[in-house]
Amino acid sequence: MTSSPPLVLDDPATADRRRSPLGRELAILAAVAACLFLMPYVVDDYALQVGYLILQLAALATAWNLLAGYTGLVSLGSAAFVGIGTYTMAMLDERAAPVWFAIIAAGVVAAVFAAVVSPAMFRLRGLYFTIGTLALAEALRMWMVNARTFNGAAGIYLTGRPPAFYQLYWLVLVAAIGATAVVVVILRRPLALRLNAVRDDEDVAAEMGVRVFRAKLVAFAVSGSLMGIIGAVQALNTRVVVPNGAFGLTWTVNIVLVALIGGLGTRTGPWIGAVFAILLQESLRGYPEIHLAITGAVLLLVIRFAPSGIGGAMADGRRRLARVWRTRS
Amino acid sequence: MNGADLTGPVVEVRGLTRRFGGVVAVSNLDLDVQRGEVLGVIGPNGAGKSTLVGLISGALAPTAGRITLNRRDITGDSPATRARLGIGRTHQTPRPFEEMTVLENLLLAADAVSRPRSAAQRHKDCTEILGDTGLARDAATRAGQLTLLQRKRLELARALALEPCLIMLDEIGAGLVEAETTELIELVRSMRDHVDATLVIEHVMEVITECCDRTVVLDLGTMIADGPTQQVLADPAVAAVYLGTSASSPSDEKPPVDPTPVSPVGHVVGRLVGTDAATTTPLLTLRDVVVDYGHLRALHGVDLEVNPGECVALLGSNGSGKTTVASAIAGTVALQSGQILFDGEELAGRRPDQISHRGVSLCIEGRRIFATLSVEENLQVAAGDVPRHVIRERLDAVYEIFPILAERRHRSGTAMSGGQQQLLAVARALMSSPKLVVFDEISLGLSPIAVDQLYQTLEVVIASGVASILVEQHIDRGLALASRAYVLSNGRVALSGAASEVRDDPALSALYVGASNTNGGSP
Repeated sequence: MTSSPPLVLDDPATADRRRSPLGRELAILAAVAACLFLMPYVVDDYALQVGYLILQLAALATAWNLLAGYTGLVSLGSAAFVGIGTYTMAMLDERAAPVWFAIIAAGVVAAVFAAVVSPAMFRLRGLYFTIGTLALAEALRMWMVNARTFNGAAGIYLTGRPPAFYQLYWLVLVAAIGATAVVVVILRRPLALRLNAVRDDEDVAAEMGVRVFRAKLVAFAVSGSLMGIIGAVQALNTRVVVPNGAFGLTWTVNIVLVALIGGLGTRTGPWIGAVFAILLQESLRGYPEIHLAITGAVLLLVIRFAPSGIGGAMADGRRRLARVWRTRS
Repeated sequence: MNGADLTGPVVEVRGLTRRFGGVVAVSNLDLDVQRGEVLGVIGPNGAGKSTLVGLISGALAPTAGRITLNRRDITGDSPATRARLGIGRTHQTPRPFEEMTVLENLLLAADAVSRPRSAAQRHKDCTEILGDTGLARDAATRAGQLTLLQRKRLELARALALEPCLIMLDEIGAGLVEAETTELIELVRSMRDHVDATLVIEHVMEVITECCDRTVVLDLGTMIADGPTQQVLADPAVAAVYLGTSASSPSDEKPPVDPTPVSPVGHVVGRLVGTDAATTTPLLTLRDVVVDYGHLRALHGVDLEVNPGECVALLGSNGSGKTTVASAIAGTVALQSGQILFDGEELAGRRPDQISHRGVSLCIEGRRIFATLSVEENLQVAAGDVPRHVIRERLDAVYEIFPILAERRHRSGTAMSGGQQQLLAVARALMSSPKLVVFDEISLGLSPIAVDQLYQTLEVVIASGVASILVEQHIDRGLALASRAYVLSNGRVALSGAASEVRDDPALSALYVGASNTNGGSP
């Protein structure tokens, strides 16, 4: 072999993991968080509402991305975790638990649920896992509709003192930043390689010493727990929780949509997708049919022309520009 | 570690049995892998060799029997646990983690090693293994972008990163040219210092004779021979089930072909293929064909001609562009520039199905048999959109040439041995009644005896008058059947002419031997 210097390729799939030191990434994240934190002092109520929706979707898509993008577990059961978080908050509100405690409990309950169903779910692979999670979430919704314990389809009213909207905004901001930080940190750990190995080839991963079940469970539980936390915040926002809302398929569908448009397996993708989806939704508020049609068209265009999503395409363009810049100078 | 006994055999297999449905792949097998030895496992396709590796690695669960590693019973352990105990393997078809870099592939495996070491040290160890296996330049390349040879190296490097006490190499020599094989042999020998024992499954006999102290022969899941390598290979029983005719004369230029089956079915193939030997204008002409893969130029202006009824061999080392030529003709890669004329018609820019309709049939490396279809359905699909009675006629003709396929017509296409699957692939290529068949490395991964059978069949097909291109790494096999040959090197035709001239050209061996030095770079 020749002894030429190591060849470093600008490969989008792997460049993501070695671009900059962890400290700098967390610093950038903190700066973004600080700016967003100040929003309630600057913008009006409507803008804050929009911001809340964006952050909520960004957090959910980030959590889903950990599962689908990095671990290859394409789940359509997101609504189950959001719903569990929502109901945990409602139940604890009835018992007058502090909000912070209820939010953490929502994350814990969702993670425990993930752990309990994982032996059954992980028996299913690929498409079957996807269908299995969808069935699980729908079954849970149907059960909640009929369960007396949780007041059935009528739902539960939150009676505790409602927080101000800017406080809700801050809560969802913390969740979104926290979810992203979790993903950023995981990507720096050996765990990330294990998740990716499971995604690329589960059987070979096992032969290389990866405890596949454990790796999948970590991703499933972390992702579910983040979704549960978002669900809890959402309960504080809506004040009334009903099964068809909390466990609604809309959650699942929107999350997938945002992650795909933004870019699967990228850290910025869920954020870009969330901004795009919510701004589109708000600008076409009066025209729901057009909104659906445009969203569908955008999804088709993204899949055809930017299979790694808008985020992936932007990263690609940036690298190309950088290369042109390097060759010029 | 784990109270393991480090004096006896590394692996002991007792009464190991594995059934797949009604088929017994491994049957009541007893086998020891001794400390410090390189053990060869050979046998015909379907003998149970890969199944044995799967059972030891834990990818497959045994139907019965017991496996111990350093006297610790591992029969019930998961693949992950076994990897952590020090069992490493490579796969017959490389299975790298495609979205990860080459180095990350190794770091993942190194993560399973219990020996405490810092992240920096692990990084350093993995980089060292990459250097040893000739992948140093590719550390940051995404594994999915590697060529076949590099993927094979990665398989080996990744298994070594586990710091295994037993390493199992499943047909790592398949698809390599001579110089690469020599390099591989060196590598396997050098591994002796790093691992306690090595198990080698191989059809490339050179690897077995050069590396293995001891060789066992499997047939239909049972051991039929066990002993020092030379002794086993000299065993007439082994020659009968495995080595076939090529055993006695490994260096023969022309593989001995039994002439008896040729004549009776020769006319049958003639019925099947669209021969047109009356004309003398070339059937296929490639003019200055250039193909790019992204920034990489794979073909730098290739000229090639095939006359009606002629068999042309296309030779060259790994990465020389042979398969790209085949793909360009079949329409599965786009041309940057140049012309491909077939029967006076331009093929460049046409879809693969349109090209197939015009009478070009491709029989590809890796077989690509449809697993969910039966043998007969696999054949029917390839016939295309023709009336049912025509399909019937062609099926009858094919079954006459390939009686084994008639026997198994209702079985799943992939439930047969590798050699039989390859026969099915050849038969499938004939079903569309082609004027030209491109055979792309069809002997890959077959046992010597299966290759003999395959080439006997090919001779029948070629004698029938269908034009063919034979893409081969095995120079002698290719030149024995072809009337003319082209040798590619780095995407250019380096040598061409009548088969006999090419064979005697001193430049030929230089092209093959020289290849290993330029090989191994990133694409």
